[in-house]
Amino acid sequence: MSDVPEDVEEKVAELPGGQVADENAVAELPSGQVADEAPAAAPVAEPLNNELADDEPSNPATQQPSDPDNGNPATRQPGNPSQRLVVIKHHALVRLSHWLNVPILFALIVSGFSIYWASPVFLHKPDPVTHSRDYLADAGIAIARHVPNAEVNPSWFYNHFGLGVFNLAGALRWHWLFIYLFLLNGILYILGLLLGRRYRALLPRRSMLGESLAMVRYYAGVIPMKIARKPWPHPEITTKYNALQRGAYASMPIAGALALASGWAMHKPVQFWWLERMFGSYDGARIVHFIVMIYFILFLIPHLVLVAVDGWDTMRSMIVGWSSRVGGDE
Amino acid sequence: MNDEMPQVFVDEKKLRKQSRRDFLLFGAGTFAALAGIWWISPLSSKKRIFGEHATDFLDTAAARFGLTKERSERFQNRALTFDDDVAEALYSPTRSVRTYKPGDLTPLRNNYNGRTPSPDYIANWTLTLTGLASGTDVVLRLPDLGQQPQHAQITRLCCVEGWSAIAGWSGIRFADLLRAYPPASGARWAAIESAVNLDGRGNPDPYYVSIDLPTAQHPQTLLATHLNGRALGPDHGAPLRLVVPMKLGLKNIKAITKIAYVAQQPHDYWADRGYSKYDGL
Repeated sequence: MSDVPEDVEEKVAELPGGQVADENAVAELPSGQVADEAPAAAPVAEPLNNELADDEPSNPATQQPSDPDNGNPATRQPGNPSQRLVVIKHHALVRLSHWLNVPILFALIVSGFSIYWASPVFLHKPDPVTHSRDYLADAGIAIARHVPNAEVNPSWFYNHFGLGVFNLAGALRWHWLFIYLFLLNGILYILGLLLGRRYRALLPRRSMLGESLAMVRYYAGVIPMKIARKPWPHPEITTKYNALQRGAYASMPIAGALALASGWAMHKPVQFWWLERMFGSYDGARIVHFIVMIYFILFLIPHLVLVAVDGWDTMRSMIVGWSSRVGGDE
Repeated sequence: MNDEMPQVFVDEKKLRKQSRRDFLLFGAGTFAALAGIWWISPLSSKKRIFGEHATDFLDTAAARFGLTKERSERFQNRALTFDDDVAEALYSPTRSVRTYKPGDLTPLRNNYNGRTPSPDYIANWTLTLTGLASGTDVVLRLPDLGQQPQHAQITRLCCVEGWSAIAGWSGIRFADLLRAYPPASGARWAAIESAVNLDGRGNPDPYYVSIDLPTAQHPQTLLATHLNGRALGPDHGAPLRLVVPMKLGLKNIKAITKIAYVAQQPHDYWADRGYSKYDGL
């Protein structure tokens, strides 16, 4: 969907003058004015490994962006029907690091559980029945009670979500192997953000608070309104990510850095004494490390639900890098 | 539409070709990741989740492509070696370990029942030094160590398991022992033996560690005789234990009986059981 002019007027009112042209230039302004923004149009094919840029990309602003239908004439260039209008979304390095994170974080979390087993942080008085002192073991007992034929005991959690009990040595080998891969992968991701010049989509904006509330309101109402069969339009989003996505995605590199910092604070508290001090104490670093892991898991749940709901184009764009949703909504 | 969502006209054929390539890479990567995780997964986890039969079948298939158990072990041990090398590169002889105040002391547990055999043992205790520059072994008793200058420090002992404890130690510096009885030239490690027997039923299971001489020279590496102001008890390694706070707790060997200076890297009890070896913090 293209913005109606009234919307653009609102944006102009909200944003500082200098930003307005940036926000709306390419698609909204007549081609004459876009000439100023030409540098923004020229390098856009770069994120797709330069291969798509072999042909001089034509200025999309000469086109009226329309519905994201494949065969829609508006997504074709007049006079050259073999050309197709797409949105460039993710740099190849961002895509690569995104998918590498799946096995890496999986391995770090399962091995982390087996390391945690050796000395749990969050403890209570021993349970008279299960003899468990560990909240994580309790969670496993609660789950195992609902699993057919499961042996309900404090080891269940670590045997099914970790690398097993009494496997500290094996778990440490995994953790050290994957922590260096995670570090390298983080560098790939940051390189991809910089090369694709997409980091701007993650930077905080002044309008985020209001937009977040609009998104929370939308998510809260989407299922009841579906049941009531009432229209419940998605808030108009003119940026790559809505405010909630922007916040969530921007928090990920920060969480990754925090996981690494707290991990190295525990792993090398003498040589990296300043890291240990940063977290207050040795145990402070341990607690932060586990909280960050919980944050990663909490991120994952809506992340998977929303990509499933949002559809194939969003999923595909993380593999191929482009989206056919030229209308600009998510 | 804005600069966060650049739109561009691309050749449809090229787009298709490149997207097909990306999907193939994605599929190949997924397969490689699954195979890799399978390769390094512990047998017990695989059997628990996939069952005996499927695990045997998949392990056999993986081995046919060279993903054998032996290679998996070697590969994973390389991760430990790499991390140890990083730790060794990070070590600085001038960086001191954080010290604490007497009010910060926390209880120190005796892990794995690592005890000095008996109080009688302490009375007849001797320490043997071998691999010395003099060429002859030296046997020391407690009063011999008492002649060296005494040092006290309150430091944190960090166990590989994740727990830690702040304790006050006093004794002599390992560096002073090295100065009094210098090792033979070419020696790079101290192989340390102990009277501790880890087997609960009394079967022979002696504890031993190695320590690199640069770490032994560190001013905060002590051969301790006292814990929190009192002579060490059997639980904490009477009469003499190593206190090396820039290493994991498992390097802080109790009830030392022998120190051998050697050129080749010696064995470590826990490294022989799959743990790392340098263990620098």
